[in-house]
Amino acid sequence: MTRPNVLLQADKLGKTFRSDGLETPVLFEVDLEVRQGEFVAIMGPSGCGKSTLMHVLGLMLSPTSGRVWLDGEDTSGWGDGERARRRREKIGFVFQRFNLLPTVSAYQNLALAQRIRGQRLDGGIGRVLDAVGLADRAGYKPGRLSVGQQQRVAVARAIVHRPKLLLADEPTGSLDSANSQRILDLFRDIHRTDGLTIVLITHSPQVAQAADRIVHLADGRIRHV
Amino acid sequence: MLTLALANLMHHKVRTSLSVLAVAIAITLLLVLVGLSNGTLHEVSRRMQSVQAQVLVSDKYFDVASFSGGKLWEKEIAGLLALRVEGGPAVARVLPVFLGRMKFADQSQNVFGVHPGDFAAFAGARRLISGELFADAADPAQALSAGEADDAGGAPQGDLPVIIDQRLARAAGLGVGDTVHPGALPVRVVGVVETGVAGRVFAPINLLRAANGVAAPTAHLFFVQTPAGFDADRIQQVCDLIQQTTHRSATPVAAYDRILAGNFRTLTTFIGLVSAIALVICFLFICVTIYTSVLERAKEIAILQSLGAGRRLILRQTVQEALLLCAAGTLVGILASYAARGAIEAAYPLMNIEINPPWLVVAGGIGLGGGVLAALYPAYVALRHDPAEALSFE
Repeated sequence: MTRPNVLLQADKLGKTFRSDGLETPVLFEVDLEVRQGEFVAIMGPSGCGKSTLMHVLGLMLSPTSGRVWLDGEDTSGWGDGERARRRREKIGFVFQRFNLLPTVSAYQNLALAQRIRGQRLDGGIGRVLDAVGLADRAGYKPGRLSVGQQQRVAVARAIVHRPKLLLADEPTGSLDSANSQRILDLFRDIHRTDGLTIVLITHSPQVAQAADRIVHLADGRIRHV
Repeated sequence: MLTLALANLMHHKVRTSLSVLAVAIAITLLLVLVGLSNGTLHEVSRRMQSVQAQVLVSDKYFDVASFSGGKLWEKEIAGLLALRVEGGPAVARVLPVFLGRMKFADQSQNVFGVHPGDFAAFAGARRLISGELFADAADPAQALSAGEADDAGGAPQGDLPVIIDQRLARAAGLGVGDTVHPGALPVRVVGVVETGVAGRVFAPINLLRAANGVAAPTAHLFFVQTPAGFDADRIQQVCDLIQQTTHRSATPVAAYDRILAGNFRTLTTFIGLVSAIALVICFLFICVTIYTSVLERAKEIAILQSLGAGRRLILRQTVQEALLLCAAGTLVGILASYAARGAIEAAYPLMNIEINPPWLVVAGGIGLGGGVLAALYPAYVALRHDPAEALSFE
């Protein structure tokens, strides 16, 4: 069981990758609690297991040991279908390299996300694109947008279905300082106005400062909360 | 999700075009080969069944599909006319046919040697468009000898008078009064009949025999007319009776298409095999195309998974792309088949390519079904992608 108001909880989380008989442990007994409406940064150097932790918390990977609780539900034992459904309903992802679909426009990137989530297309997409300042670029394919604009489209796609949890993996890692600041401002706005719970993964102390709380990860272990 | 499938295909225009072309070629090959086989068989059987007769009699060793083998004697006609079934006559009239071969329009044609008086039964509802019915010669050998007069009003001296059908006339560029030399003997066109009669070329039976060096009154086929009102069972009874009493082969004319199809089963099987091989190659191509596309788009699939796309949606997305390719290829293939038919029939006017709706449905089914099958393995590969790994790769 999770405590009230806790949206995301990791209990003794471990992850070991196995390939060709070789075992690579990445996470070791990670304990973490993220409350509803909290903005948490998980900070650590490259290779410390931040992205793996995000993928496990975001139900993209199954942990080797331990449990993940999402919105009061124990996710252990969930099959692919159940995990996909919870991602659809409750989680939004933002990645370092944006990960937009390159063959369709910014609008269609959001529309596809809506369709996958079984939501009807309404004025929501326009409003979200407007909120990230890209209403006039809705018809552009990602290749015609600047990197800052692409990341703003990615943020818009992650929040268009009003998820409970936004997981952002090095969202400013590919951006210059001005664009980084704009994305962080955007996160703070979303967090403040919508009360969205945000978990931000970063190696940068400056970026981590945008969060309410910083969790340090080193060598696959939580060092300081 | 159709938007994404379409966008992906449009994004790789060359690959998409090649895949569509591969399916189109296979579908065209299927439709044209099957159409050629069916068209030829159906056209020949329709023409044979246009004769106003119900039973086809031939020597046991005569092949009614290839028109080769043993002969009959005209004197046997009297025996046939004497046959009785259920107290009444079994045979009303016998139309003997002596078959020869001549080359017209660069294609070997069976020449139907018939008695002028029987021609109306062969023409049926089809009329002579131009010219007139030929006359036979009392002394065919003399009539065919150049320089000797034919005072009997029969065939012009030295010529074999023939009636050709309209299609052959068009293909060979012949009209009434034209003389051609398809062999040693000059042949003169005396009439043109509407297309659809049993033979493309008709000649007087005696003259045709003489032209082929046959002096005896023989024939290759007897078209037998049964008395009016005979149903299929009675006609079969007549066939059985003829076989028992004359030891000749007798089959209902209505069954000619079945006989023809049976005789050409090896050819149709071969055509089916060639088409199947072409289709398998085409769908392997589609499989490789989709497989390559899936490998290239591991990240895109992972993005969809991060958005919450489940296995079913990823599977649908992969199959949808293959289906779009195959649907476009099938459509292009069908259009190309009609174009190919037009081109082939223009170049070879006597060829028949029959593209009919049932085969279009079959081609569509094969095209789309093959597309689904071709997408299954790539879809399986797509489902095995590790989304976290694909998304981590920068």
